Amino acid sequence: MTDTRLIVGPFNRVEGDLEIRLDVSDGAVQAAYTNSPLFRGFERILVGKAPEDALTITPRICGICSISQSVAAARALADVAGVAPTPAAEKAAAMLHAVENLADHVTHFNLFFMPDFARPAYTSHPWHADAVARFLAAKGSAIHAAIEARAGLLHIVGLLAGKWPHTLAIQPGGMTRAMTARDKVRIASDLRRFRRYLERNLFGAPLEAFASLSSINELEGWRTGDVGFFLMLASELGLDISGRGAARYLSFGAYPTNEGPLFKRGIWQNGERRDLDSSEIYEDLSRAWMLGESRHPSSGVTVPDELMREDAYSWCKAPRIDGHGFETGALSRQIMDGHPLALALAGEGGVRARIVGRFLETARTQILLERLLSEIDPSGPFMQSVDLPYQGMGEGLVEAARGALGHWVQIRNGVIENYQIIAPTTWNFSPRDSAGTPGPLEAALVGANVKEGEETPISVQHIVRSFDPCMVCTVH
Amino acid sequence: MSQIETFYDVMRRQGITRRSFMKYCSLTAAALGLSPAYVPKIAHAMETKPRTPVIWVHGLECTCCSESFIRSAHPLAKDVVLSMISLDYDDTLMAAAGHQAEAALQDTIEKYKGNYILAVEGNPPLNEDGMFCIVGGKPFVEQLKHAAEHAKAVISWGACASYGCVQAAKPNPTRATPVHKVITDKPIIKVPGCPPIAEVMTGVITYMLTFDRLPELDRQGRPAMFYSQRIHDKCYRRPHFDAGQFVEAWDDENARKGYCLYKMGCKGPTTYNACSTVRWNEGVSFPIQSGHGCIGCSEDGFWDHGSFYNRVTDLTQFGVESNADKVGLAAAGVVGAGVAAHAAISALKSAQKKTQSSKEEV
Repeated sequence: MTDTRLIVGPFNRVEGDLEIRLDVSDGAVQAAYTNSPLFRGFERILVGKAPEDALTITPRICGICSISQSVAAARALADVAGVAPTPAAEKAAAMLHAVENLADHVTHFNLFFMPDFARPAYTSHPWHADAVARFLAAKGSAIHAAIEARAGLLHIVGLLAGKWPHTLAIQPGGMTRAMTARDKVRIASDLRRFRRYLERNLFGAPLEAFASLSSINELEGWRTGDVGFFLMLASELGLDISGRGAARYLSFGAYPTNEGPLFKRGIWQNGERRDLDSSEIYEDLSRAWMLGESRHPSSGVTVPDELMREDAYSWCKAPRIDGHGFETGALSRQIMDGHPLALALAGEGGVRARIVGRFLETARTQILLERLLSEIDPSGPFMQSVDLPYQGMGEGLVEAARGALGHWVQIRNGVIENYQIIAPTTWNFSPRDSAGTPGPLEAALVGANVKEGEETPISVQHIVRSFDPCMVCTVH
Repeated sequence: MSQIETFYDVMRRQGITRRSFMKYCSLTAAALGLSPAYVPKIAHAMETKPRTPVIWVHGLECTCCSESFIRSAHPLAKDVVLSMISLDYDDTLMAAAGHQAEAALQDTIEKYKGNYILAVEGNPPLNEDGMFCIVGGKPFVEQLKHAAEHAKAVISWGACASYGCVQAAKPNPTRATPVHKVITDKPIIKVPGCPPIAEVMTGVITYMLTFDRLPELDRQGRPAMFYSQRIHDKCYRRPHFDAGQFVEAWDDENARKGYCLYKMGCKGPTTYNACSTVRWNEGVSFPIQSGHGCIGCSEDGFWDHGSFYNRVTDLTQFGVESNADKVGLAAAGVVGAGVAAHAAISALKSAQKKTQSSKEEV
């Protein structure tokens, strides 16, 4: 096969727009270039606005991770004021956030990832008919069940926060609505219903059984539910060795509380975990259509290069730590939290590892939600006054479903002077930096199998979607 | 058109029972404010009319409208998305990718020329020749114009497509532009909100499919059945407003008691939407019920009217509704209420004076 160049895009079943350029020779991807073609300029819009307005504007970066944006903004403002939400509110906000992340994982698997196995390219495989029946885009039985279950789960957000997406109830000092004893009963029944869905459809077994797996051997013995179906596909198609990353992971720690995040923070490099110092983060702009130099986000700038210079190829900035890109998401979170199965998958780091990371987190998050609900004391308080200072700086670090999300705000003369956001897919789908180091997806795509005549290589589809990209967040 | 299946055929194929179908028809009639006599009409239309093809395209947006849409209340409403109205082309949900997807769009346009509805989520950015939103190598604005050319009508989903939304907030870095400023020769139905309520979205579509015409629109192009009342008119906290009982801080006793959020910046008095009646997430709640004021997300320019926590100062009161097209119904209520209303007006006016003067002090 001769050298060819493929432009793959637009991608369906991802949030937002994405285009990837592939250099292909000898039936494999040699180099990949990720272009995020959608820019809206939120960081510029926020400048000059009242600081509290970030609570309304930033969630609108993304209609599917809007609570994550909301929590990050509230945390950043609380940080400026030097306060934290009340303990009861922290738990209630953690519940809302965890519900959104859980809903996103289920949506990703059923609506965005699995329909690729129903493609005609797999017709010759014995499992293809099953894949079509369950996961054919917009028609499969699993998809209907997932949409219904998730709508029910999101009742919890509706109840506590008024509406989803784009809730307004999460504030720097807590929640505008106190959870009542009656809410607790209703939420408990919503959670029971969702657990039933997970155990019947996704896992085909009790969640605790999956959450207690501790090795790849045990994982490969799992046969039930759609999880079992996926694992069978994964071993048949070699998804364990497909799309392997550099095994560098990052997590800001999910669901901050006064006792620390409920899933731990840290970075993973050279096979071991270490603490994360957020001041090490910087964004490299050399291959992005952005003007300016590499900076820490607290002093970062967003000036689009209207000439769209030749050597750049994306609106996305390239976040780095010490010259390296880091992968972020459910797998990273579970690794940082020290779960034995996630640790066993850290070195594998391919399509299967990312999907299993999400399964693991799905099971553990449902269990976590049930625990949080039982711990929340309806007598509160759920809110405290916060006086935002006239000037100051703050950062809000949280974990969206897709990984590490950071907001950095600078207030001066009572208005926002600078606001910078690094979203999970900004990390995962970053372009190259000044040293030419590719972003995590770009690196993971190298070696992907391209069959003769394939214009949208199926292996590339699996790898791209295994990251669960959210392109609207990426550039914002 | 004869080769196209009816809605009922499509639904039957999806394994939806007759009983469930009839239930959907009656819920739809209720949502649209129609009497039970309309139920058989809706059912008949769905059984006999060919389904309407829909092309759903995404511009500069956050996908929140799709997210809202696929969570509407009746279990069948999700099938509205997934099967009943076949979304012949949709970026987020469909199976194809790359060139296949582009080809699918082209096929759909050719096949249903002049008969399809174009649903637009998001809007086109016009700065730098549209380069801030590229779909399939071309600016979104080109895809939009191309798809609109042969459409029967256009639905502008959400605040983005209708008005611009937060991405058009000053300084509007990409010059995000609402659909009606780009497409000027087609009927356009605006369904604003960020996002719109799921039941409003399915209600609008079902109406168009059932009666084969556009719903009645107000002067701003919004379906009157959902956007003719202010949040304030049907707000369950309204009695506290009338009584001058307000939340003054997020954590005060009045917040606990569920008093009116007007002083916390609630835009309910100037916002036309169905949140306080239809509510959200299958009717469980809405923002004011969660203790936060309305931000007015279904109103034009809501993102640039000063802070979301500033008080509304151009509040129209009973009897002085300046915009007859917008209201009228509040006036009717006042006539009926007679003397009691008079007392309320006085209380209201004095309460308002207070708030307005305190605003000036700030």
